[in-house]
Amino acid sequence: MGYKKIKKDQLKALFGEFSKDYSLLVPSRSKGHVSFNPWDGDSADFAEWYRNTTIPPKAMFFPPVEEMLRFKKGEEGYEIEELLPGEGTQVIFGIRPCDARALKIIDILFSDTYKDPYYLTRRENAILVGLGCNEPCETCFCTSLDISPGESGDVDLFCTDIGDELLMETVSDKGEDLLSKMSGVSDASGEEESKAKELGESVKEKITREINTSGLLERMRSNFENREYWEGVSRKCMSCGICTYVCPTCHCFDICDENNKKDGKRVRNWDSCKLPLFTRMPMENPRHEKWRRIRQRYHHKFEYYPMNFDTIACTGCGRCIRECPVNVDVREVIGGI
Amino acid sequence: MENKLKEEAGKLLKEGKVDYIIGFGKGTVKFRTSPLITNKEEDLDNLVINPFIANNLSRYPIELKSRVGIVVKGCDSRSLTSLIQDNKLNREDLVILGVPCEGVVDIKKVADQSKAEIDQITDINREGDSLAVQVNGSSKTIPFRDVVFDKCYGCAHPTPLEYDILLGSEVPPSLETEKSLKGIKELEEMDASDRWKFWKEQFSKCIRCYGCRNVCPACFCERCFVDVNMPQWVSTYATWQDNLVFQLIRTLHVTGRCSDCGECERACPVGIPLRSLQRKMVEEIKDLFGYEVGIDKDSPPVFTHYEATDPEDFIK
Repeated sequence: MGYKKIKKDQLKALFGEFSKDYSLLVPSRSKGHVSFNPWDGDSADFAEWYRNTTIPPKAMFFPPVEEMLRFKKGEEGYEIEELLPGEGTQVIFGIRPCDARALKIIDILFSDTYKDPYYLTRRENAILVGLGCNEPCETCFCTSLDISPGESGDVDLFCTDIGDELLMETVSDKGEDLLSKMSGVSDASGEEESKAKELGESVKEKITREINTSGLLERMRSNFENREYWEGVSRKCMSCGICTYVCPTCHCFDICDENNKKDGKRVRNWDSCKLPLFTRMPMENPRHEKWRRIRQRYHHKFEYYPMNFDTIACTGCGRCIRECPVNVDVREVIGGI
Repeated sequence: MENKLKEEAGKLLKEGKVDYIIGFGKGTVKFRTSPLITNKEEDLDNLVINPFIANNLSRYPIELKSRVGIVVKGCDSRSLTSLIQDNKLNREDLVILGVPCEGVVDIKKVADQSKAEIDQITDINREGDSLAVQVNGSSKTIPFRDVVFDKCYGCAHPTPLEYDILLGSEVPPSLETEKSLKGIKELEEMDASDRWKFWKEQFSKCIRCYGCRNVCPACFCERCFVDVNMPQWVSTYATWQDNLVFQLIRTLHVTGRCSDCGECERACPVGIPLRSLQRKMVEEIKDLFGYEVGIDKDSPPVFTHYEATDPEDFIK
């Protein structure tokens, strides 16, 4: 199937249509930071200003706080009400290639031995419309991790911004189905198609930073005991959880029960290996010193995850660099090993 | 200033007067600096002093437990003094390298004033009272004082009050207090239900990353009350109610220790205007007890002693 196109000034009408059948999420600044929010019924100009969100798209599938079940003490023991996500379809419009890859990366974990119904239901019920980057951030380094900022096979439908129009390429059946329901769409010319391809190719040149991943597993392993190195790189870290919470692949969580006298709920929430309270509930956090916690985070992403699932758990989105209050830079930390 | 700093820091390390130098280094991102903490002389060449030295470094010596040479701006020096008052730091272990500060640039304001996204700004240079900003190839001139952090407008002590070596000439106090209190006044003028709605919205965004707490030099508890889980005071998950409780308790805990350095707000990834809460308390203790944080290292912290003249109108 060839490329289709839609005029950007038609997006508002398109979003209006989507809103009837789906819950539509688009990048917005309405909360004072950029995140995917339910469409406000009006603005459709994010392609003009948006580079990436602060809160990563994982939040739409693995929310910061999620009620898993409720329980009530009855006559004969506890009654349990499971709270699985509803059936409705989420259309996420404008996800970046790095973030779409991030979802693929954590899909492996959430569908491993234990199939996480909360995450997987939302994933199955979502349609991802990707948007290629024309202007990456200075903190981006996705190209070092085999991600192309101008194309993506990890979405259902992929858009390239060619000026007044978005060019659309079907990636999956879900995407094709969505495209077939869109009005205001027309066939793209061969010229427009090559323009999109050219843009997708040339944007790679704009990503000038990189992370050195060559021989990484071996490098990580042989450096593990290098306490001086880890103490050095962690000296300025403030031990907060920003990097883990804005990371599109960090997925640690805590589960807690909140009890009243007769009823209560079980809640799952984001947790961070950077915080001293991490894993305190079952026993103790074995990583008392800051450098051990920091080493754990980098080793998880760049050694354990590749060992377990054959992929590095980093997409080069650069959020951890951008949001860190003391500018700890993953490229320096990994590059220095 | 930068050259003098490198020279003085080098001497301190070479002569063995300190074990570490804590200063600002070049960041890996445009218009950012990054804390530089080192015991190696060769690293000192990376020290910088520029309009982007935003971090308050005064927390680091607590963790390092060593003799340190530390670079401070006016507000940071008051945090340091407050930590000395609380016996968290020994004055004898510190060599304070003071930077008289004309204000720190808030890059978000530069972007707003240039009507551009931060990523579109390619270069910023200080030229006297102005900043020359390059946006997508064209140049714009912005008055320097229009783009400093709000806290800088009301800065009564831009030159560090406590120092061993002053790296430049003194800077007069900033008298634009009203501008500094602007956001707070707006909140005060809201009626209670609107204000409640405002904070409810703000704390609904909080993801409980604890960035605000962990960058705060006044948050020096070895075990924060939110990290106590038996009994649990605040739930570990981020609901707006518990986020609000966490922040209000934190606000009260740091009252009398907060020098209005604004790091909590700068660190917040979701943009909650946290400084307004702290700043309000700074005003309150000034009004009630005539106390300003970090002015006199030999006086007791405001809440560790009492005066017979302290107001007690709250006892009805």
